[in-house]
Amino acid sequence: MTRRTRRALRIGLLFTAPWSIGLLAFVLYPVLASLYHSFCDYSVFRTAVWIGFDNYRELLRDEVFWKTIWNTGIFALAAIPLGIVVAVALAMLLNTKSHGMVVYRTIFFIPSLVPMVTLAMLWMWIFNGSYGILNYGLNGVLRLLHLPFEAPGWLLDPHWAKPALVLMGMWGCGNAIVIFLAGLQDIPVSLYEAAEIDGASRWQKTIHVTLPMLSPVIYFNVIMGIIGTFQVFAVPYIMTGGGPQRATLFYAMYIFQTAFEDLRMGYASAQAVILFLIILACTYLATRVMRKHVHYGGV
Amino acid sequence: MRLPLLALLALLSCACTRGPADGRVHITYWEKWAGFEADAMRAVIERFNTAQTGIVVEFMSISGIGRKLLTATAGGDPPDLAGIWSSSLPSYAEHGALTPLDNYLRRADIRAGTYVPVYWRMCQYRGHTWALPSTPGSTALIYNKELFRRAGLDPERPPRTIAELDAYAKKLTVYDAASNIVQLGFLPTEPGWYNYAWIYYFGGAIWDETNKVTFATPAGRAMFAWIADYSRRCGVKAVQQFSAGFGNFASPQNAFLAGKVAMELQGVWMYNYIEKYAPGLDWGAAPFPALDGINPPVVYTEADVLVIPRGARHPDAAFAFIQFVQQQTNMELLCRGQLKASPLAQVSANFFATHPHPYLPLFYETSFSPRAFTTPAFSIHDEIAREVNVVIDGVRLLQLAPDDAVAILQSRGQRALDRMLAQRARRGVDILVETP
Amino acid sequence: MTTRTTWIWQFVLVPLAGIFLFPLLWMFSTALKPVDQAMRMPPTWIPKAYYAPLDGVRMRVVPRGTNAVAGVIVATADNRLFVPDADFHAGRVRIIRTLRGAIVTNLVAAQLIKTVPPGFVHVLEDVDQTSMAAQRRWDYVAPALLETRTELAWRNFLAAMRVIPFARYTLNTLILCLLCVVGTTLSNSLIAYGFARVEWPGRDFYFALTLATMMVPFPVTMIALYGVFKSMHLVGTWYPLWLPAFFGGAFNIFLLRQFYMTIPQDLTDAARIDGCSEWQIFWRVIVPLSKPALAVVALFQFMGTWNDFMGPLLYLNDQSKFTLALGLQFFQSQSGGTEWHLLMAASTLMLLPILVLFFFTQKQFIQGIATTGMKG
Repeated sequence: MTRRTRRALRIGLLFTAPWSIGLLAFVLYPVLASLYHSFCDYSVFRTAVWIGFDNYRELLRDEVFWKTIWNTGIFALAAIPLGIVVAVALAMLLNTKSHGMVVYRTIFFIPSLVPMVTLAMLWMWIFNGSYGILNYGLNGVLRLLHLPFEAPGWLLDPHWAKPALVLMGMWGCGNAIVIFLAGLQDIPVSLYEAAEIDGASRWQKTIHVTLPMLSPVIYFNVIMGIIGTFQVFAVPYIMTGGGPQRATLFYAMYIFQTAFEDLRMGYASAQAVILFLIILACTYLATRVMRKHVHYGGV
Repeated sequence: MRLPLLALLALLSCACTRGPADGRVHITYWEKWAGFEADAMRAVIERFNTAQTGIVVEFMSISGIGRKLLTATAGGDPPDLAGIWSSSLPSYAEHGALTPLDNYLRRADIRAGTYVPVYWRMCQYRGHTWALPSTPGSTALIYNKELFRRAGLDPERPPRTIAELDAYAKKLTVYDAASNIVQLGFLPTEPGWYNYAWIYYFGGAIWDETNKVTFATPAGRAMFAWIADYSRRCGVKAVQQFSAGFGNFASPQNAFLAGKVAMELQGVWMYNYIEKYAPGLDWGAAPFPALDGINPPVVYTEADVLVIPRGARHPDAAFAFIQFVQQQTNMELLCRGQLKASPLAQVSANFFATHPHPYLPLFYETSFSPRAFTTPAFSIHDEIAREVNVVIDGVRLLQLAPDDAVAILQSRGQRALDRMLAQRARRGVDILVETP
Repeated sequence: MTTRTTWIWQFVLVPLAGIFLFPLLWMFSTALKPVDQAMRMPPTWIPKAYYAPLDGVRMRVVPRGTNAVAGVIVATADNRLFVPDADFHAGRVRIIRTLRGAIVTNLVAAQLIKTVPPGFVHVLEDVDQTSMAAQRRWDYVAPALLETRTELAWRNFLAAMRVIPFARYTLNTLILCLLCVVGTTLSNSLIAYGFARVEWPGRDFYFALTLATMMVPFPVTMIALYGVFKSMHLVGTWYPLWLPAFFGGAFNIFLLRQFYMTIPQDLTDAARIDGCSEWQIFWRVIVPLSKPALAVVALFQFMGTWNDFMGPLLYLNDQSKFTLALGLQFFQSQSGGTEWHLLMAASTLMLLPILVLFFFTQKQFIQGIATTGMKG
């Protein structure tokens, strides 16, 4: 190693030193500790006792654990694609050069600024079965059309609680709209012009130019969406506490519950380890699937 | 340029850790209560702080105290004293989060006979005393006399058996022209606070107090069939509509306070909500009906108890305060302030006379019943209660057959219990006891 | 685009914009209503207030419906009651009490205060419900005496700020935000420099490892981290909430590194020739040039900390150290039930600073999100 590279190494390590500490203390050590504790009976009060695979064996038999996986999976499968479709559609609507667009962009963006706790409180109020504005409107429409249905109880109804959360999530898609808008504006006009020369209709241009060009952004959003969904905590914790009948008990909430309410930290650590594996698998899968369809590269 | 800013930040972040220096021991006391219940406790604290010169109790309202206290104690940052629900005592004790009070009690000569038996039992777990009560909560049938009268029922003869309760409920349920329910006689899940307690009113119990959960018993099956029955009779829609659910218990929209439900299983504190949200409501209280009648009554009770978390810095000073609260005059001041009865076996002549609660004697006297019960003395109560609520929710929406509910509860409950027992066995030592 | 298509566009966008704005408008409207209208069906948009005479004084009241049967208001020695006619007879009212389990009916002397014909309105004094013990005045009045006015209940905001120590929580949150913002910008700008502008052996591997840590979500590390802070005796303090910010994070490192890469190498080379040390290059050349990127990082950190719920929920015990996000959640349990009008008022108050921040930094916000692809 020359003196210069040694110096560069020293400088590089010096600048990245805070991160080296952070990486060790706040990422690597916790991950390894979780792995160790997942084989233990551990409650923070007492020293951990090694119990082998007992926690994992119990996980396999724990219906609640499977239910949280199911809940989280279904939620991801509904919320992520729907959110992306809505955001892409709105971004396309907004991707015109007329005057009012700044105003609209702001309007669609503002909901995504709402702090999560506020968001939860507000929608709890809107979804309230008896006093909520949503059901008031829905029931009005249903009566007007003489339909023999009644609006669901949303957060009180095990079948409707998850859809309610998905619906609510779409309201906050402003961030994604902005991302897709930026993606749209990066698409070179020449591509559209070329398509027009080939006689492509508006629809064909969307399918063959816009979406492929947007695919890296979509891919990024899918990955972030998966990681995000497995962290969903505050909103359902506040709105439903996991109910009704555990219909909105998501993975992160169950970890929290077992770790900090039942103080079964070993068991919760096993869940954390599985979560880590799930995220790895999902990302790998998403990458495999998307690789075929994602269009990278310049023009 | 950044340095002064950082210095400022550092200052800000440590600004809140200074204690007063008046030579007295300052103990922190976490209590779940806010509002008038907290005010009542503050009055007692004020007495204590002026009655002696060595200790100052600093009161703090902590919401969500159940989990907070556990994590704080686990995190090595516990208060000196805490007021928790009696139902969470076994799990705290089992985790080793509490200081046993045995030696303190011996020194202070505090004995079981001082207390209403059921409240003393609540403070015991696996042979040790871990707490002393602050205020007791016992429950009863709370009913709306006005609605009784309108239904042609004698408001002075409330139901005494489950069968009578069901018959009354039928008579007290009112339909509108479109046959929607506008008034419900009774609904087991409204407000649904004590779902895990219902089995006791059917002569059953949650476990055999050694190693079996006992949901799969005639009592358990009868209880779930009973809940499903109400849903079938009233319709799932009405059941959902009437569920107080989240958010409107303490409000004029509360179904009982609004006169939409005629009978409920509720606690002594209901008086206070009536005074606040429906003053003038003509209501009554009576022992809650049980399968085989009310002689003696089956009474669900719980209590607020004072505990010293493990690792508390000043356990002796904390116990001095607990002991102070147990003196009859202080206890009565506290309980009157919180509009509750007393956990002590003796009350002063003055207590009932000056207590504003019209049915206080009922709540006090029924707590002596040999069939007064409380949450099971095992550390998995929260888990079991959660399971019970989940299956009851399924049963009341008629999405889960009563027998399936029983089977699910039995298997999940037994698994939790087995795990608890295995854990105990593995840990070898009986329990973490090191009495100061 | 032609005028015609613009109009069609507007036709689609206006209702959509309405849907997006609606929940917020509903929140504002509820925040300004008295409690009875917050819970009223059919809902009203414009808040109203009711006035009626109580004890001879005209005051704001809550109407509680009308009585169906004729009754009387009577005063016993210690109470004032409304009872149906049938229960009051010859100066005595029927009162029930129990004695050792047995139920006894007592006839108690009572004084007639007023008779109430059917159809009178039960009115309750409208007080801000902060103390459970507060006794509220009530009466039954003739419907004609009940007066309705349009009135915005601005007092809800004051009441909301009384129910939880709002100012305290805001200050706490701001201090935490400040600490986190300073920590994040400081640490990540340094770290990113090490990854972007210095070439050292192992750098690329280290950077790949760094990126990989983005795959470790918080729930995975949360339990063990709790153990770490526990062993440092920091549970119950703010340290666990801001200390990690001073040690960088993969996402911000990535973001800033990408930005630093776009700064021409010539600039730093020139500085190096002038004899600047690596630190001087960083501090004098790179940092001033990357202000927009740093602003984005700072902005998101601010939002993140302002929003954070799980961290404070996990680590804070003492109510006086709570942040807004946590304090707001405990709003519900403070007085036993949810007082929606106050909750909406408090929620509005929590949203306002973010909205203000947004309007002042719109450009950075939008650009930041667009360039980073950050969500949530």
